[in-house]
Amino acid sequence: MAKRVTRRDFITRTGLAVGGLAIAPSILAACGGSDSSSSAGGGEGGGDLAFDNWTLYIDKPYDDLYGAGGTLDEFQKSTGTKIAYTENYNDNNEYFAKIQPLLSKGEPIGPTIIAPTFWMAGRLLGLDWLDKLPLDKIPNAKNLITNLQKPPSDPTGEFSLPWQSGMAGIAYNQSVTGRELRSVADLWDPAFKGKIGMLTEMRDTIGLIAMSEGIDLAKPEFDRFQPAFAKLDEQVKNGQIRQFTGNDYVDDLEQGNYAACIGWSGDVVQLSKSNPNIKFVVPESGGTLWFDTMVLPKGASQEKIDAAAKWMNYVYDPVNAARITETVQYISPVQGVQDELRKRGADASALADSQLLFPDATTLANLQTWGTLDEAQEQLFDEEFARISGA
Amino acid sequence: MAKADTGGNTGLRKGRFAPYGLLSPGIIWLLLFFLVPVAMLAKASLSTKPSRFAEPVFSWDFSNYSTALSQYSDEFVRSFVYAGIATVLAILIGYPLAYWIATSGGRWKNFLIGLVVVPFFTSYLIRTIAWTSILQDDGPVVALYRLLPWVGADGRILATPMAVVGGLTYNFLSFMILPIYVSLEKIDFRLTDAAADLGSPPFRAFRKVIFPLSLPGVFAGSLLVFIPAAGDYLNARYLGSPQTSMIGTVVQNKFLVQFDYPQAAALSLVLMVIITALVLIYSKFLGTEGLAV
Repeated sequence: MAKRVTRRDFITRTGLAVGGLAIAPSILAACGGSDSSSSAGGGEGGGDLAFDNWTLYIDKPYDDLYGAGGTLDEFQKSTGTKIAYTENYNDNNEYFAKIQPLLSKGEPIGPTIIAPTFWMAGRLLGLDWLDKLPLDKIPNAKNLITNLQKPPSDPTGEFSLPWQSGMAGIAYNQSVTGRELRSVADLWDPAFKGKIGMLTEMRDTIGLIAMSEGIDLAKPEFDRFQPAFAKLDEQVKNGQIRQFTGNDYVDDLEQGNYAACIGWSGDVVQLSKSNPNIKFVVPESGGTLWFDTMVLPKGASQEKIDAAAKWMNYVYDPVNAARITETVQYISPVQGVQDELRKRGADASALADSQLLFPDATTLANLQTWGTLDEAQEQLFDEEFARISGA
Repeated sequence: MAKADTGGNTGLRKGRFAPYGLLSPGIIWLLLFFLVPVAMLAKASLSTKPSRFAEPVFSWDFSNYSTALSQYSDEFVRSFVYAGIATVLAILIGYPLAYWIATSGGRWKNFLIGLVVVPFFTSYLIRTIAWTSILQDDGPVVALYRLLPWVGADGRILATPMAVVGGLTYNFLSFMILPIYVSLEKIDFRLTDAAADLGSPPFRAFRKVIFPLSLPGVFAGSLLVFIPAAGDYLNARYLGSPQTSMIGTVVQNKFLVQFDYPQAAALSLVLMVIITALVLIYSKFLGTEGLAV
């Protein structure tokens, strides 16, 4: 007969097994040694400067951030400055929640440079949590596209510099829609009921709908945006909208759960490579133009700030900027990247002709960037958006 | 345990404090990681924020509670209904499985129980997201589902309450099976033979003898499923739609997007109080004297 397992044995063994499972990852992690990635706030140590950026936002030769011939490797070789590059910037609001307790007490957060989207950079600036950039040590900043030099989020242009820029528009899967989409109104086609996705990023979702209602985004006021919120509310309540997601909309689009959704240009460019049915269009009524920035949260030493300036200067050289653009496929803030890509030939030169990477005047005229929301206004927008999206 | 030291023996008297010494790690743990956080939560829930990004200031502001109850009653009700259905489903699925392993598992018992735990080798988040691939609209599962007579050609499983409840049931099922198994495992099954000898049909023997003896397991399992399920937000986030959001979704958004700590704290405390009340009612109802609740 099988040996009976007593209750005590069982609990001991299960406890050991579960405990072992729980501990194992941390032991493994400890054995991993000098893994250069670390959590937000831990980015110090290591290099002369630390840059905490979004994922998939820089070239990675051989799938290694510091792979030979890549931007990080070349930068370290040519300047002798060591950079600790991490990819922990996942969501503006989440990141803010992590750094807020430190910065509000005047304590340093770790990374020298972080990559908030322009409106979040504006918020950090408004809270006086950013250090001035040593612009005199970043001569290449003159290469920046003019309208990104002194954006409304940073009117003097002394506290933030752009990293990459992109647009939000309509992404759709033509094998599900069976036709081309052109406008935001197409999203409300009853044929796509329950197959429409929205972004949790309030400014992109409300921005696109607002433009379709004829509301401009330059001077946003909550009262004027009521028709946009009402439209969104109506489409959530009648079941047209299936879900609000972050970057994971990409999977829903590929799996046919979404017929169409609001999406970001660079993602869709990358997706359409493997699935030509997936398309991106800037709606007739307009799309949003956004950009992520590089800013210096207060508390870094002068040496680190100088090293950060070296890095910024380096990536604003069109040759280096083109290397990054070739991988990330967003709009580069640096002039001359288009020519550089043409020089590189093959796949790179095909990118040089893409409207999504190098929008011409007509496309640009159809894009709008959000004006700054003050604290009270932003709270109204966020609360209403959360209420409608079921959060 | 305290009876022994009435003898006046100094050696024994010294030992009077031994139990407290032994208990101290647990008590310190509870103080540090339960009572202190709950006190902080209570303090935050009665605070107001002078401006959006400022630290909350304690002010006996009870309005956070009235807003929590009035504005989010739908989410509260939904959370408890979903968690309740998931608990019942977990009992219906988990009990027969645990029963079968305990009675017919033979020498494979440990292996089978091991299999129950295997899903924990993958992270909770990954397991939940995996369901979005399995249940995708273009996938085989949904294709079969659409063949059902009452489901239309555009029927779907994802982004419905069914998917959320299913996800909750799946994710917490092991927490139901393990305690039920433990309580069944220690039952002497010769009792069923005795019942049969006394003329009881097998099902009646199960109902009158085995099931009552296994109730502590069912009770423990129900708590382990219901409590985390009621506060869960991942299943609603990935498998649900805006119409299936649960209270966890709201708390997460209040904390991480809106920085409304007072409101989030009030919602969390209301959730805790309701869960505690439900658990107390449930324990009265089940009458499990074995578990000191």
